[in-house]
Amino acid sequence: MSELFPRKQVMGFVFSLVLTAIALSVYFLDMSFTTGMIILLVTAFIQAGLQLVVFMHAGESKDKGVIYTNVYYALIIALVTIFGTLLILLWDM
Amino acid sequence: MKIDNSLPLEYSTDQNQLNILGFWIFLGAEIMLFGTLFASYFTLVDRTGAGPAGAEIFEITPVLIETLLLLTSSFTIGLAVHAMRLANKKATMAFIGITLLLGLAFLGVEIYEFVHYVHIGAGLQTSAFTAILLTTLGTHGAHVTFGLFWGTFILLQIKKRGLTPETGNKSFIFSLYWHFLDVVWIFIFSFVYLKGMM
Amino acid sequence: MEFFERFAVPHPSPAIYASMVAIGLTVIAIIAGLTYFKKWGYLWREWLTTVDHKRIAIMYLISALLMLFRGGADAILMRAQLAVPDNKMLDAQHYNEIFTTHGVVMIMFMAMPFVFAFMNYLIPLQIGARDVAFPRLNAISFWLFFAGAMLFNISFVVGGSPDAGWTSYFPLAGNDFSTSVGTNYYMIALQISGLGTLMTGINMITTIFKMRAPGMTLMKMPMFTWSSLIANVIIVFAFPVLTVALAMGTMDRLFGTNFFTTSNGGMDMLWANLFWVWGHPEVYILILPAFGLYSEIIATFSGRNLYGYKSMVASMVLISLLSFLVWTHHFFTMGQGALTNSIFSITTMAIAVPTGVKIFNWLFTLWKGKIRFTVPMLYSLGFIPLFTVGGVTGVMLAMSAADYQYHNTMFLVAHFHNTIIPGVVFAMLAGFTYYWPKMFGFMLNEKIGKWTFWMLTVGFVLAFFPMYISGLDGQARRMYTYSEAAGFSMLNMLSFVGAAVMAFGFVLIVYNIYYSVRYSPRNIGANPWNARSLEWATHTPVPEYNFAITPNVASSEALRDVKNGHDLFPGKYEKIHMPNNSGLPFIMGVIFFVWGFSFVFAMWIPLIIATIGIFACMGYRSAEKDHGRYISVKEIEDTETKLRGA
Repeated sequence: MSELFPRKQVMGFVFSLVLTAIALSVYFLDMSFTTGMIILLVTAFIQAGLQLVVFMHAGESKDKGVIYTNVYYALIIALVTIFGTLLILLWDM
Repeated sequence: MKIDNSLPLEYSTDQNQLNILGFWIFLGAEIMLFGTLFASYFTLVDRTGAGPAGAEIFEITPVLIETLLLLTSSFTIGLAVHAMRLANKKATMAFIGITLLLGLAFLGVEIYEFVHYVHIGAGLQTSAFTAILLTTLGTHGAHVTFGLFWGTFILLQIKKRGLTPETGNKSFIFSLYWHFLDVVWIFIFSFVYLKGMM
Repeated sequence: MEFFERFAVPHPSPAIYASMVAIGLTVIAIIAGLTYFKKWGYLWREWLTTVDHKRIAIMYLISALLMLFRGGADAILMRAQLAVPDNKMLDAQHYNEIFTTHGVVMIMFMAMPFVFAFMNYLIPLQIGARDVAFPRLNAISFWLFFAGAMLFNISFVVGGSPDAGWTSYFPLAGNDFSTSVGTNYYMIALQISGLGTLMTGINMITTIFKMRAPGMTLMKMPMFTWSSLIANVIIVFAFPVLTVALAMGTMDRLFGTNFFTTSNGGMDMLWANLFWVWGHPEVYILILPAFGLYSEIIATFSGRNLYGYKSMVASMVLISLLSFLVWTHHFFTMGQGALTNSIFSITTMAIAVPTGVKIFNWLFTLWKGKIRFTVPMLYSLGFIPLFTVGGVTGVMLAMSAADYQYHNTMFLVAHFHNTIIPGVVFAMLAGFTYYWPKMFGFMLNEKIGKWTFWMLTVGFVLAFFPMYISGLDGQARRMYTYSEAAGFSMLNMLSFVGAAVMAFGFVLIVYNIYYSVRYSPRNIGANPWNARSLEWATHTPVPEYNFAITPNVASSEALRDVKNGHDLFPGKYEKIHMPNNSGLPFIMGVIFFVWGFSFVFAMWIPLIIATIGIFACMGYRSAEKDHGRYISVKEIEDTETKLRGA
């Protein structure tokens, strides 16, 4: 609590810059669509998780169960909506 | 109002805890909001009609600048909360101020980007693709704009009233909002721009 | 001149002019009445500025009843138009407008506020809280809902009603085919009230998670609170989808974008897709609280604990997830492949399983119970078989191959009314009768209530069961007439008779309220039904702080425990913190109404002014110092003595 230097935040920031640099490789390097998408998916979700835990303090109060359930639930339904929509309107049309 | 000093300032009253949990649930709704926009974006991304495709209009430089600005602002608002927990009013205000300036710069670049798109014939009415592109970016941009006003209000209140359980709570919730916008931007950056330019 | 022409009704008729006069006279009568009886101050202090969850609940209830009659008038007109073949009473355009407003009003402005009325009233009482987590936000939610409802309803006399169906499918809802401002009303009014709904969702979830009385773990909550929790979770994740869809639809109509058009890459099917991503969970938002009410009522009047509490909760959690996995079944015929349709057929049929679990739980609660046939119980007992028929026809519709036969026929209309009326409307009326004494301090007349129940049930069966047959025979929905040769005449006449009987039933409800206000005894005590859960443990009428002492709960049947010697209210009186009233929510509602009206007619300058007004209200709220007030121990003692004496 009383730690003066924001070690956690600085590390989080550095890490997020590294992730951004890795994501940028899909633009600057020549690679297949699949590889590129995998890189983007991995870096984006790690980045999001990083913000959630390091910066948003999602797990520090006694409501963390509710908070994490809420976020995961939203995430699952959002992904279902996205992929369901794509399935209906593009992939299986 | 009962204040529990064993907890960080932003959690110190019952109402504060309610506010924070309520805001998290609101963020759950925001995830769905942007999820729906992404679902629509991916559906319409190739439906360019007579207009340009993403690869033809995206430019890496402004996008990179925007990304760095927003990532840094997310870092500084994190520092603001850190300073607030150390009860350092001056540092808290300074970091919130820097965050808002970075947000303003982000917004400036985004407005430039929008003007550029319209200028090269990718306006709101051009095609389904341009409409959903500008709507998705615009929704994020509108959130940032709202955040700028909100943050300014909080800054004024901290200046006037100091770091109280109320202003601390507001600052913390604002930081949640701001980090969330950063998360949304990461997904826009990855799956709108980088995927589009890949 | 062209500017003002848009405000005229595009298809006027004597009925609409008569309504205009009636609306005008009603408004004048209300204003005159309030002035004559000097009630303006009372109205403002006690109702318009209130943040008390109980009063907000009653305002939701009144709105819901008003809208029930508004939507019911549409229903009667539709059935009258179809009662005989080749009827010329309404033309096609009027018929389109009527079925559109009927659907929207009944779902969004009748069923939703009815559900919110019970959530607002009961959740804090059932969990032993003083109020909801954000009382001010709660008032804003109500006024946003109310602004949306009023905005939608004036479409009828200013500018024309929406006419593209409650689903408002594009391209039909686009500018080319819906030329009046009607569909703008649809988009904006739903947007405003949807915003209010989302806030209610957040508010209720926070309340339930954070404000339960000591001892009340999640698994000791009364079943209505559980069902509301799940419904609100669905609200929070479903309504943003509607927000986005409506925003895109508004942009298509007013800013010339191409989301749902058929040119420049637009995809009309995306609207249908997004609409039902919200629309299917929406039906569970309505039905789950209804299930919760039935659970309370059946347990009370069987004199037994609810059977299978845990399986009830588990089935609702499962439904909340599954409700987001089935939306394609609303458009099996849209042209997607067999794989997609198969997946969504299976998920749809899977929902029947948790729903079936609940039906059996209610049946086992009744089993060996000492059943009392009161009015709320009659509705519940009517619900079980009727809803099961609705559910089974739902499984028929869930089979995508067979759905090609049923799609867009009266069979579908029969199915969803068969789930919504016995499911939601009966539950609301049951809850209305059951909680009326808690809200107002006297009972509704049982005899008139039983007449109402039988009229509604017989009317319902007469009105909707013939539609199954005419639908299978090929009668399409949303057609304003049919020829005699089609052979639907008899069935449609039956439906009309049924609708008329139902209308009498609804009028009887009003009569019952009038009769009971005049003649019902007032000395009913706190628990007239001999119920079992916490909300009946406080006084009737409920004091503004709900419970003088925060209850200490041991089980979901808190009041039952008292009879077994549990001390529900330990300790002594302490001062109670309550929120202050505020006029801001009402003012925001008014500004939102102006905002919406300006948006509908694309009047940009008032729109910008109203937008600034909304943000000014938010800014004012942010800077405001309002720490609420305290009720002193003395006041509590006085109130408690008075209520106990009464």
